Amino acid sequence: MNSTIVSYFSTLPFYNHIIGFFNSLFGENGQMVFAFTVYFIAAFIVVNILSAVGGLGTYAERKISADLQARIGPNRVGPYGILQFLADGVKMILKEDIIPRGADKFLFYFAPMLALLGVFATLAVLPFSSGLALTNLNIGVFYLLAVSSLVGIAVFLGGYAANSKWSLLGGMRGASQIISYEIPVTISILAIAVLSGGISFDKLIGAQGGFPHEWFVFHNPFTFVGFFVFFTGALAETNRAPFDLPEAESELVSGYNTEYTGMRFGFFALAEYVEIFVVCGVAAALFLGGYRVPFDLGGDTLIGQFLQIGSFVTKTLLLYYVVIWVRWTLPRLRVDQLMMICWKYLTPIAIFNLVGCAFWLVKFDGRSMFNLIMN
Amino acid sequence: MFHKLLFIMSTVLTVASALVVLLNKNIMHACIALLGSLIGIAGLYLTLGADFVAATQLMVYVGGVVILMLFAVMLTGGQDFVSKTQKLFDLTPNMGNATSYSVGIVSAALFGMIIYGLTESSLSSIPKKDIDPNLIEASTLERLGELLLTDHVLAFEISSVLLLGALVGAAIIARPDRSTSSSANTSEEQ
Repeated sequence: MNSTIVSYFSTLPFYNHIIGFFNSLFGENGQMVFAFTVYFIAAFIVVNILSAVGGLGTYAERKISADLQARIGPNRVGPYGILQFLADGVKMILKEDIIPRGADKFLFYFAPMLALLGVFATLAVLPFSSGLALTNLNIGVFYLLAVSSLVGIAVFLGGYAANSKWSLLGGMRGASQIISYEIPVTISILAIAVLSGGISFDKLIGAQGGFPHEWFVFHNPFTFVGFFVFFTGALAETNRAPFDLPEAESELVSGYNTEYTGMRFGFFALAEYVEIFVVCGVAAALFLGGYRVPFDLGGDTLIGQFLQIGSFVTKTLLLYYVVIWVRWTLPRLRVDQLMMICWKYLTPIAIFNLVGCAFWLVKFDGRSMFNLIMN
Repeated sequence: MFHKLLFIMSTVLTVASALVVLLNKNIMHACIALLGSLIGIAGLYLTLGADFVAATQLMVYVGGVVILMLFAVMLTGGQDFVSKTQKLFDLTPNMGNATSYSVGIVSAALFGMIIYGLTESSLSSIPKKDIDPNLIEASTLERLGELLLTDHVLAFEISSVLLLGALVGAAIIARPDRSTSSSANTSEEQ
């Protein structure tokens, strides 16, 4: 069964009253209308909060980069400059929306929307907690990988539609990079799926525990390596440095979004920052125990759910920090180095990890390293 | 109610995008409309309870095939190039040749057979019933995996060998030809 936010609400005591109220309003369709309403409200909240997180991501990026380079960073708008992203947003909305003369207008309008669509569609399965995630599809991770491939098309179209050399080169690099790095990422996820016996997020996270030694990253040597393979591939899929070739500033001005102005550029930027959050969330869910809290504090109550959200978001934001840290530490790769890392190193290592995890599962009956040492 | 609504929306998306693919002369726009049509088909799978197939549809077609098509169109020059070199849009109508007639006859026969098969046998033999809501909620994932590795393991293995062959073939085709490059080097030296 697919467990969802609605099925979590149905376990709460006041559920029957609400259903009774909806049934009196809409007749026998009351339950469905209620489910739709809950989904709508929950999706609205999640999308808005994640947009704010994406906005704060730009602030965090600037502040952390300033720290790393011994500068001060934004400090004028609000306390410590924390409202800088709102000022940026207002500026972007007020900017003139320019379409280059030779551009393909329809695709030019369409590409940023497609990028946002692909990223926000992944939020449907992101496991914030055991009850309050939007849905928990049986095909969870697979669905997430499938819809996030829309972003690749959006990057490519954004580059093509602008009818500019830099955009085109950036778009082509972006699409080829995203397609290539999907392979090691997917195989790394498959290794974890082998260990946990399912690809829905509640199975993947349920196979782990609240403490670090119960996480999949420390489950066996193969998953430990697999975590780094996954994280590297995910960095490349979000077009972040050191893999930010699609927008390499020193060669391509700004890559696939060179010709975009105002809020259309903002959409691409927002999609990138939200996608980083999603990718970090997936890494936290697959390898770092996701929403599991030590001793299962709080249980299934609402307090427990909020503790779980806290656990998940903390791990995700720590990884988010690492992503920004990596960007401002490492230099950019060349195109040939990029492809070499993917095809000659990450993919074989990921396949080796998959076989190793399967071997471990058979040999040690799926018990973790810690478990074996203790016995 | 919502299942029906989603089904109708997916159908409309599929058919409308397919029409745009047919009627649009801009090949890039047609590719994007094809994307919509494929997503609509994924929606159809989903409303019929095949969640894994729906995600696979998105993964394979959206993530792979459409990007590949866009690449192919762009690298071959796009619409302008094709219309200039092939003169697609100022062809004077003619009476066709042996190829076009034979293709037309074959496709008409195929279409007729499909229509006949649909109307005669399958629709009447399947008892009409509403979709079981339990079937929609249950996952197809476990059953699919089990069947793939038990009853259909031969097909599974053959297709994996086929894909491996395609991969190796692509690598061989894409590999720079060492003999010609070395001979080019020697000729430069001479």
